[in-house]
Amino acid sequence: MRVLIVEDERKTADYLRQGLTEQGCTVDVAYDGIDGQHLALHYDFDVVVLDVMLPGLDGFQVLHALRAVKNTPVIMLTARDGVDDRVKGLREGADDYLVKPFSFIELLARLQALSRRGRAQEPTLLRVGGLQVDLISRRATREGQRIDLTAKEFALLAVLARRPGEILSKTSIAELVWDMNFDSNTNVVEVAIKRLRAKIDVPFERSLLHTIRGMGYVLEDRDDQGRG
Amino acid sequence: MARTRNSIAVRLALMFAVAAFAGFALIGLVLHQVLGHELQRHQREEIGGQFEGLQYMLVHSRSPQLAAHVRERLDSLASSRDTHFWLWSDDPAFRYGDAPAGVADATRGAAGIVSLRTGSGAQQQTLHVLGRVLPANEVRPAVQLMVGIDARPFNRTLRAFETALLLVTVAGTLLVAALGYWIARLGLRPVARLSADAHRIGPDNRGQRLDLPRLPRELADLGASLNAAFDRLDAAYRQLETFNADVAHELRTPLGTLIGQTQVALARERDAGQLRNVLQSNLEELERLRAIVADMLFLARAEQGERARMLVASSIAEEVGKTVEFLDVLLDDAGMTVRVSGDVVAPIETSLFRRALSNLLHNAIQHSRPGTAIEVQIAQQQGTAVVAFSNASEPIAPAQLERLFDRFYRVDAARANSHESHGLGLAIVKAVAAMHGGTVFARSEGGVTTVGFGVALDSAPAQNKK
Repeated sequence: MRVLIVEDERKTADYLRQGLTEQGCTVDVAYDGIDGQHLALHYDFDVVVLDVMLPGLDGFQVLHALRAVKNTPVIMLTARDGVDDRVKGLREGADDYLVKPFSFIELLARLQALSRRGRAQEPTLLRVGGLQVDLISRRATREGQRIDLTAKEFALLAVLARRPGEILSKTSIAELVWDMNFDSNTNVVEVAIKRLRAKIDVPFERSLLHTIRGMGYVLEDRDDQGRG
Repeated sequence: MARTRNSIAVRLALMFAVAAFAGFALIGLVLHQVLGHELQRHQREEIGGQFEGLQYMLVHSRSPQLAAHVRERLDSLASSRDTHFWLWSDDPAFRYGDAPAGVADATRGAAGIVSLRTGSGAQQQTLHVLGRVLPANEVRPAVQLMVGIDARPFNRTLRAFETALLLVTVAGTLLVAALGYWIARLGLRPVARLSADAHRIGPDNRGQRLDLPRLPRELADLGASLNAAFDRLDAAYRQLETFNADVAHELRTPLGTLIGQTQVALARERDAGQLRNVLQSNLEELERLRAIVADMLFLARAEQGERARMLVASSIAEEVGKTVEFLDVLLDDAGMTVRVSGDVVAPIETSLFRRALSNLLHNAIQHSRPGTAIEVQIAQQQGTAVVAFSNASEPIAPAQLERLFDRFYRVDAARANSHESHGLGLAIVKAVAAMHGGTVFARSEGGVTTVGFGVALDSAPAQNKK
């Protein structure tokens, strides 16, 4: 995935570049609106990550210029959590927005969602390691063994299995599973993950559902089964 | 200040002056009218009486020496200076006096008193004349009798009266204005006191208030409302002060941990696993800081008067159901159940509303004994949809109930550093209620604590604020 980051805060831009590069993206960085606009207009990116407050041209101006020419997906980064900024950004054609301070995991999830958009129909049978999740019959099996799950547990497993190897933050999980799109200060997700893990992981040798401390959870079949 | 701005005393003095002038002028006008009328009547009676007497004599007397008698009578009457008598006839014996030009002509056909200007320059005078032609009888020919009176002395009296009135009016007005100014200054003295009182109130002695008992009745209301305003400002000020302290405290704890454990980690050579542990722990603290900042921003937006948008008419019972589903694992762990009763359809912004419900339910789970039930009541009350969460718990003192919705307020201080809640949960509920044009409430009765909020059913104000 080719990503353009337009962000004047060096530290932010640098960690975004490093993080996204390590996730396998090709990253270009512009530190002001003028460079950003130039790059966005003259090269083809899969996604543009665009800060609102920029020297030279602000994010809205860059977005406006970009939208006049092409439909590259844009994620806006707003410092003020003002609805007006959000509404304005979305009306001008931004595809998504994140409010600073945002977590990197959140940005990653949005980028992946944007790149997933328009992809061919999803398979109805998901496989992670020995785990099979049948989205049609709503059944999960591991190593051929049927696993009894409640409706919400299945929904949680399906959300994770659709994004194997992708770290999902608690906020994303709460939104995808329970349709609660706000930062909940509860430990609901932790408890729900614990319960799910007790059913899909604990009886088996290899762990599939991993906790990434401070970031979230990921479902993947890891080669190294050291604790991480 | 009295000179540069509109002074109340000056304004009052001016108003007194205008009122006094109007009063004096009115009285003067009436007196003038009455006097003028009286003088006129007096003149009429004067000439009318003389005329009647003479006419009687001329009509009824059959004396052969009538002409002489009449002349004699007229002579005696004419000695009074202001009244003039004229008699005109074809017979010279029945002529008397030398009527000024035009008098005879003017009165000949007239029925009553005629006013005439005669002479010119200094000799000019106004005459009121009554004249009539008496037909001839056996002792005399037809005569024209005229009686006139000089109006000048009466007019002089009237002019003098007018001058006096004008002087009295002007002098009286000035006097009243001066007195009024003095009275106003005297009457406004309590205002000066009030101002001096208010001057003493500042950030350093916010407790000071206006001295109400010393104020007159008219100012007591103003003083009381000012005092109430000071009270509100004081409360807001205090809240802001403690708020700053609270924020600093909330941020200080995770920051201290971050700095400390990073320093400890860097003080020695560590292997990658240990360093990863530190980074992960740091990340947890940082996430906590981020959550606090995000919630503070949210509260700030609500406080700036932001209203909920994207309102959708939704069943509150359904929303409660979804929230219960969300927190189901926590309820399950605590062995608690939720009973929902009632339902109202209200215009809400779903994500905000769910956030408030989730915070309230979470609060109820945290503060009730395991194994008990949480009651959720949904009802409609005076244009608002109210949702209330009741749970069995320790009684909460009224003073604590009041502060329940304050930022960073925790009933049991022991929980202060609990990782789960940073004490903004109920403040957010309050903000969400405010964004929906509603309010929050909390009760604690008979071992049951009820906390809830309302949202306005009439969403018009929110929609207007596009």
